[in-house]
Amino acid sequence: MGNYKIPGKQIKFDELFRLLNFCKTIQTEGTDPFDLDVKRFLETLKHYHKKWKSLDDLLLDAEAIAELAKIIELQGKWIKDRSSSFYIDPVLLELKLKMLEPQQLATAFFKSWHPIISLDRITPQRLIEGLAYWDALLPFGERIDEFPFPSVVESTFGIEDLIELNILSKTEFDDAVQAVLNELEERGKIEYHDFIYGASFETSVKKAYLTSYLVNEGRAELDIKPLEEEVFISPGDTNVNAQAHHTPSRSIPISLSYEDWLRWSVKQKRN
Amino acid sequence: MECETEEELRIRTERKVKKAAQLLFFRRHRIPGVKGWELKKALGDDYVEVIAVLNSALDTLGVEVKRISEEGGEREGGEEKKAERDRFMIVLKSPVIEKASGERIDNIAMLSATLAYIISKQGKAPRKAVEEFLSDKFPKQRIYFALDRYIKQGYMGEDDKALYIGWRTRAEVDRKALLDLILT
Repeated sequence: MGNYKIPGKQIKFDELFRLLNFCKTIQTEGTDPFDLDVKRFLETLKHYHKKWKSLDDLLLDAEAIAELAKIIELQGKWIKDRSSSFYIDPVLLELKLKMLEPQQLATAFFKSWHPIISLDRITPQRLIEGLAYWDALLPFGERIDEFPFPSVVESTFGIEDLIELNILSKTEFDDAVQAVLNELEERGKIEYHDFIYGASFETSVKKAYLTSYLVNEGRAELDIKPLEEEVFISPGDTNVNAQAHHTPSRSIPISLSYEDWLRWSVKQKRN
Repeated sequence: MECETEEELRIRTERKVKKAAQLLFFRRHRIPGVKGWELKKALGDDYVEVIAVLNSALDTLGVEVKRISEEGGEREGGEEKKAERDRFMIVLKSPVIEKASGERIDNIAMLSATLAYIISKQGKAPRKAVEEFLSDKFPKQRIYFALDRYIKQGYMGEDDKALYIGWRTRAEVDRKALLDLILT
């Protein structure tokens, strides 16, 4: 779009841009398409029609018509949906869903569920095809280009890189890790998030990062209870730590999110 | 061409019904079921009639062949051309058996609530809104995991951060019955 600076022109563009934005909001937010007065929209376009001069004016006019057409299409769909047997007031349904127990929801699902019956079986023909595929496959060494290593590895900064770049000093980092360990030893076995989360989300993320080093080095232990969905952290057993480097390591993803931290903070304040 | 005797016709139909059953019961693609054009290719032009014969045979077992249109609706009969684009699959006719899934009850509850929520929003809802709605009863981490799994299983699809009803829900779930059961 051009740079519209003529005052009169600015007013008409403002009005059209406002209508265009409204159309886009209806499409993205899924609000009632009948909130837009189509007749008034068309009258506005008609009003400005004779004043269009430049290519930009005509493009804006075309865009407005296209957006209006989409809204009319949505209005058609809206009527169709409302008249279909599936139409139910979303607010009422939401309320009802919130009131139902998981058991009742599951029962409703099972009563309306007609599972697909589908069996998987490897036939002799398919086995022969598989064997032929194996025979035709080039050795892995010759197809290495098909499996490129993720490029992320090259761009990752490790602690060593940060120390080398003088962004962080080794002592500073070790002190921070030690401080987290001291706190953990003081608090003993504790729910992971209760230990990690603190006054601000930023410090919580930093603490989680430092804690991962403690766990990695065997100086702290994680106790995961999958059924209860709880993770506990406790100071590591120093005798076992010596063996930690010889056991195969595994990654344990634990999510931290700003929303979760907010909820935790509110809960803490209530308590 | 010689006129086919009744016996020959019976044998030919039986053979076709058997072939149709094998095609429909055993999985050939990532998504279960067979496209109309595939059935036409394997069974001939009268494949819709063959499916009808198979359906009456399956009725005694409590299962049926369901025809699902690509646009999302369930179809009873209809034009020949459209049938070629439709997907045919075998489903349990009436949900009489008590358990047909090893899923945990809370996962089923989450799926049930999600589907009802999406249906009430005309078949499409922002993923964020669904997550927010489910977080009333379940931890966020479980919700992310469950939604991703339902998408993978075909119960819903995701497009531009919005969730919509997937092919599997269209095939397996009586959406009207689900809403009625929730509201009553």
